[in-house]
Amino acid sequence: MRRGLAPLFFNLSAFVAALAVAPYTAPLWRWLFPDLQRPLWDSRSWFALLAEHLALALGAALLAGLIGIGAGVLATRGAGQRLRPLFDALFALAQAVPPIAVIALALPLLGFGAAPTLLALVLYAVLPVLRAAIAGLEAVPPAVLDAARGTGMGRLRILAEVELPLALPVIGAGLRVALVLAIATTAVGAVAGAQCLGTPIVTGLANGNAAWVLQGAIFTAWLALIADRGLRWALAG
Amino acid sequence: MLAGLAAAAPFLLGLLSLAPNRLLSPRPAGLPLTTPVLLSIAVFLLAGLGLALAACRARSLRLAELLAVAMMLALLASAGMAAEALLRDASASARAMPAAGFWMSVLLVCLAGGAAAAGRGAAPSLFWAASLLGGSALLLGGGLESLSLLKEAAARGPEIRAALAQHLALSGGAFLLALLVAGPAALLALRHPRAEAVLMGVANAVQVVPSIALFGLLMAPLGALVAFFPVLRTWGIGGIGPAPAVLGIAAYLLLPLASSFLAGLRLAPPALLEAAAGQGMTDRQILRAVRLPMGAGVMLGGLRLAAVQAVGLATLAALIGGGGLGALIFQGIGQLAADLILLGVLPVVALSLAADALLAGAQTALGARA
Amino acid sequence: MIRFEAVSRRFGQGRPAVDRVTLEVPAGQIGVLLGESGSGKSTLLRMANRLVEPDAGRVLVAGRDIAGQPVEELRRGIGYVIQSVGLFPHWTVARNIATVPRLLGWEASRIAARVDALLRLVNLPPEEFRDRLPAELSGGQAQRIGLARALAADPPLLLMDEPFSALDPGTRRDLQAELRRIHAETGKTILFVTHDVEEALVLADRLAVLDHGRLLAEGVPRDLLADGAGPEIRRLFGESGLALHRLATRAAAALATPGDAASLPALPEGATQKDALLLMLEQGARAVAVAPDALLRWDDLVRAR
Repeated sequence: MRRGLAPLFFNLSAFVAALAVAPYTAPLWRWLFPDLQRPLWDSRSWFALLAEHLALALGAALLAGLIGIGAGVLATRGAGQRLRPLFDALFALAQAVPPIAVIALALPLLGFGAAPTLLALVLYAVLPVLRAAIAGLEAVPPAVLDAARGTGMGRLRILAEVELPLALPVIGAGLRVALVLAIATTAVGAVAGAQCLGTPIVTGLANGNAAWVLQGAIFTAWLALIADRGLRWALAG
Repeated sequence: MLAGLAAAAPFLLGLLSLAPNRLLSPRPAGLPLTTPVLLSIAVFLLAGLGLALAACRARSLRLAELLAVAMMLALLASAGMAAEALLRDASASARAMPAAGFWMSVLLVCLAGGAAAAGRGAAPSLFWAASLLGGSALLLGGGLESLSLLKEAAARGPEIRAALAQHLALSGGAFLLALLVAGPAALLALRHPRAEAVLMGVANAVQVVPSIALFGLLMAPLGALVAFFPVLRTWGIGGIGPAPAVLGIAAYLLLPLASSFLAGLRLAPPALLEAAAGQGMTDRQILRAVRLPMGAGVMLGGLRLAAVQAVGLATLAALIGGGGLGALIFQGIGQLAADLILLGVLPVVALSLAADALLAGAQTALGARA
Repeated sequence: MIRFEAVSRRFGQGRPAVDRVTLEVPAGQIGVLLGESGSGKSTLLRMANRLVEPDAGRVLVAGRDIAGQPVEELRRGIGYVIQSVGLFPHWTVARNIATVPRLLGWEASRIAARVDALLRLVNLPPEEFRDRLPAELSGGQAQRIGLARALAADPPLLLMDEPFSALDPGTRRDLQAELRRIHAETGKTILFVTHDVEEALVLADRLAVLDHGRLLAEGVPRDLLADGAGPEIRRLFGESGLALHRLATRAAAALATPGDAASLPALPEGATQKDALLLMLEQGARAVAVAPDALLRWDDLVRAR
């Protein structure tokens, strides 16, 4: 067993335990926020929010992974090279538009709920995957490709058995960034009505309930940190 | 291919939609076939065709970029004139707003322009500058007045200006605050590995926490602080408002700033630093004469990234009562009013592009001098 | 001029990098520290301007213990040249040379005059090189600038850490000759570190051989390579080439005999016995002229030992 698993496991257990205990902490919040009538978040179970949060983030990361790797493969083939300037322009534009702007713009088109969030998540999560896929595929040494062609492998086979495996570490790092990004950005989706761990924050802000904001913020931040550590650990080996 | 898509989009998805007033949902509207509209659409299509042809050859990429500008302007003009024609026989409260086809087309033309510039290894400054110039000319000439976005903007002029000023103050304040922390922290980390570990650990952890959660986490302690020291409230500090927003944004800027400062300060090779020390330069002199000038490019890169992030993050400040352009966006979300959302988003995008271009310019100037 | 007294230095655990070395270079001489990599020669040199502090022992420059002196002031009074040259890439040649004079607060006119004088000293035309950037120099030119920079404030002592090791053989020989000429003109005391035996013998007035941090032998090169050289010295100088190296430490004039040398190939003034041998082999001559009325014979050379 590699080092670092034990603290990670401990962290995760503590997180789940905290989620389970949260509904019974009303006295604590009443003590911290004596002015509030309902200081404890109880409109929806924490586990349901967590599940929805993860479903959104993982779904977006999966879609982004497929699109990103596909586009990366395309952009490194002969004819697809011409797409490269387009991707560069896309990167530059995406950097200038914050995710909340994309969610807001998609709202009138897609309506309230998870859809605009999913769209924004996929758009933003694609970028690191695509960048990593291009970098990883381009880093495959030409000599290796020559050798593969020399043994009579077909182009698809070279891609599947030589290029992608060799590029995997780099692509994996891109996927990690995409997933952490997705888990963090999902919280913003609460603004557009998506159910997730950000929901108590947004509801609390709208109703002037600082206790809900704090509870939502703690769990959102905690989840993001666990995801970051966990994926770092998983990819370090 | 991109140009073709951009040209087709308005027809497939509709150029404009018409709404009885600013809050009701719009319905797609047919294109009014007046002469000026047809003329500008013809220009749009021709430019699109030219762009597609020009983009095929590497030598004519500059021409392609200019043609993208022409497309953009023709598109704007068509929308403006068509809106005017539509509204001529509609009620006074009716609004003509650009439809999905228009936006898709704008996006695609932007990408085409950017791609043409990137294709010859340049920043799309020509495209932006020309589009901006032409766009403002159209705007001042009154060609776009009938579009709902502009009507909304006219109705909310002072509000938008105030939000813009707030947004600049929020992002600028956070940027300065982060700079004040990151600079000395990087210098400290340069000497002490322990300090570096702490600094980078904190900066990395903050980066992982979702911004909305960080703002939330900052609210309660600041609120408590004010409760204990009411004098703070007179200074404008509180759990809600600009204070936690500026703090939160600054926390995110710590990573790009500190890591680029450290990288920049470490750019001078050890042998050079030894040569400097061997000649009797003090640590301070080495920092000023060797480390800083040699690392300036890398450090500017970090400033650039941080500035763009600051503008984007300040959008969320509205959630905790910090104001700024985000307030317009959230108001628009509340009313599901696309125009209002756009009035918030467009200045944010323009601001971050401007900040990026400004610092990129500084970087180029520095590179040219060295 | 510079004196190490029983200095030691250990980095981390294990064998000391420098182990109780006592060594002196008299004023106006070139002292060469010769050794293989890891012998501690660079560490010893870097103690002289306190880039490394000794664990034990003391270092005296001009009779004063340097441990008590302000470190920056000490370094500004000692020229320092390193293998990678270490020119500041964002400064012109003139600004690079002027580093220490600027630190010392000289007037601009005095600095400009000094820079031109130094460029002429290292054989680079000032008007051509003054405003160049380091990236526009060849390796040999860059090291000449490095030498000029070290000499800028006219320090009596110069520390040179393998300054020519990264250069082509031809450039290296040119710069060695140049250094001897500049040394003759300026009379500086020089402490010079190298791993190159031939370079050491060309330059050294006094030679110190270091091995694993300890001083193996120290003295005038001729004495070091005399018959009694120990096995470590023999190994370092190369068993087979030892005789040739030995010839390189002796003046050709020492074996000369009177006679008419007018028709013989002539040696330059100050040539070594190695030069004489090589000239004989080159010209197929049994004798060479040391002076118009003095010659050196093959038999005398071979029998001398």
